Amino acid sequence: MTRTDLDDLFAPEVIADPYSYFAQLREADPVHWNERFQLWVITGYEEVVWLLRHHELFSSAIMKHSTSPPYPPVDPEDLPLFDEVREFRGDQLVEQDRPEHLHQRGVVHEYFTPTAMESWRPFVRNAVRELLDELEPLGRMDVLTVFAAPLPVRIIAQMMDVPFEDRDYLRELADSILYMNRGEPWRLRPLTEGMRGIVEYAAPLVEERLECPGDDFISILARGEKTGVFTRHQVLVNTGLLLFAGHETTMNLICNGLLALIRHPDQWDRLRADPAGKARLATEECLRYDPPVKSTQRIAAEDVELGGRTIRKGDRIRWIMAAANRDPSAFPDPDRFDIGRQPNPHVSFGSGIHYCLGVALARMEGQEVFRALAERFPRLELATEEVEYQPSIQFRSLKSLPVTWTQGDQ
Amino acid sequence: MTRRLDVFVDHSRCVGNAMCLATAPGVFAHNADRQSEVVDPAGDTEEKILEAAFNCPTGAIRVEVDETGKRLFPRAG
Ligand code: HEM
Ligand code: SF4
Repeated sequence: MTRTDLDDLFAPEVIADPYSYFAQLREADPVHWNERFQLWVITGYEEVVWLLRHHELFSSAIMKHSTSPPYPPVDPEDLPLFDEVREFRGDQLVEQDRPEHLHQRGVVHEYFTPTAMESWRPFVRNAVRELLDELEPLGRMDVLTVFAAPLPVRIIAQMMDVPFEDRDYLRELADSILYMNRGEPWRLRPLTEGMRGIVEYAAPLVEERLECPGDDFISILARGEKTGVFTRHQVLVNTGLLLFAGHETTMNLICNGLLALIRHPDQWDRLRADPAGKARLATEECLRYDPPVKSTQRIAAEDVELGGRTIRKGDRIRWIMAAANRDPSAFPDPDRFDIGRQPNPHVSFGSGIHYCLGVALARMEGQEVFRALAERFPRLELATEEVEYQPSIQFRSLKSLPVTWTQGDQ
Repeated sequence: MTRRLDVFVDHSRCVGNAMCLATAPGVFAHNADRQSEVVDPAGDTEEKILEAAFNCPTGAIRVEVDETGKRLFPRAG
């Protein structure tokens, strides 16, 4: 194989099994220059954590600082649409550096703390129960479409305090945003349609909540406009961020976690023996073993030495959770799926100042889902020979997860 | 009279999110690994310290009353 082939992050083998590919890279070259995509690929655990905790050296403002065209390439006639993506994405919290990031995060941080989120647990538990009550008699389901995708939207719609009937439309919008980091050359069309859709949908809501604020998170964002932290555009695109950031990610946690549990019947049995007691650590291991997000980006704010290599100011960087989470220097026997693993300092939610804002909610959703599944289903079977993944470098997303079960057996 | 507090950061949980440093800069500082250390448990008001503990995204901060050992955060239960 030539060097170029080795650098193809979208090769079908790499999409199907990122772990073997990134493990090779981590062993040979944990801070690797990818010639094909012209970016650094960071795979070592220690290097990833160091990078994430040095936000002053590694900027998150990718859209602002990078002038490179989208990769992989898009249809040339669609290139003007990329400006829309820049404007939308570039104004979101996740793309801000300090000091703006701290002020903006300060507006929404309190809403999502572990203590604050705990009050949502009964709602989450009930949403899981309602969905599974409908599905259980069927004997089979595509976990992705009928369970893992609707659940997070149901919960986030409640936190946004929007009408129940809007859920299907919100899910449609969320689904079009999934094209963000994919490989299809026509992806900018559905993506920008979704972005326009969310801005149009959120605009009247923001007006309304500025007038009469509630305790939902659109009101919280709108308050940030009143105090001068956010512009109106920032309120709108961050409404989009909160709506979407927990969509595909939570979906993947549920699907990838369940797939791992199905493929490791001994671990499923361990969970079944004490679902309420074991769901917390099991969720962490699902997050580590097959993380919902494989990688995200940074851009060097100055010349930096990392792992013996010199990263130049302006260079693009991808840090790979899928590699760091399997680094033997941080996790003994890293390729083993062990639902009791502790400590489990995985980087699936990132680290440092951009550490996932929705972490407490995401964890709770995972815990309630794995607990409920283990309580209800003695054995779930995979109803397909092979599973397929979306061609994304950022997300580890199954295309579907068909499973079957026998009712009434113990 | 303000009571003395004991403040602890669990390094197996701290992810260096730095919200505690922003909330109670007199109490918390980052070490070389960019994890939070308690530099002065009396460096800020009780209210600010509890706010920092409450806002830690990983629940890494524990706060107790020095004299009695009574736990103020995380709350029991
Ligand atoms: C299993 C589910 C989830 C995973 C694996 C996940 C993962 C991540 C990761 C890795 C980051 C850091 C990105 C970076 O540093 O470049 C992040 C940031 C973020 N996440 Fe999550 N996330 C999940 C669920 C959620 C949920 C449910 C929400 C909100 C409702 C959410 C909202 C956010 C926001 C707003 C940020 C940006 C934070 C900042 O820049 O300060 N996430 N997430
Ligand atoms: S807020 Fe929590 S995670 Fe962040 S630095 Fe402080 S102790 Fe660590």
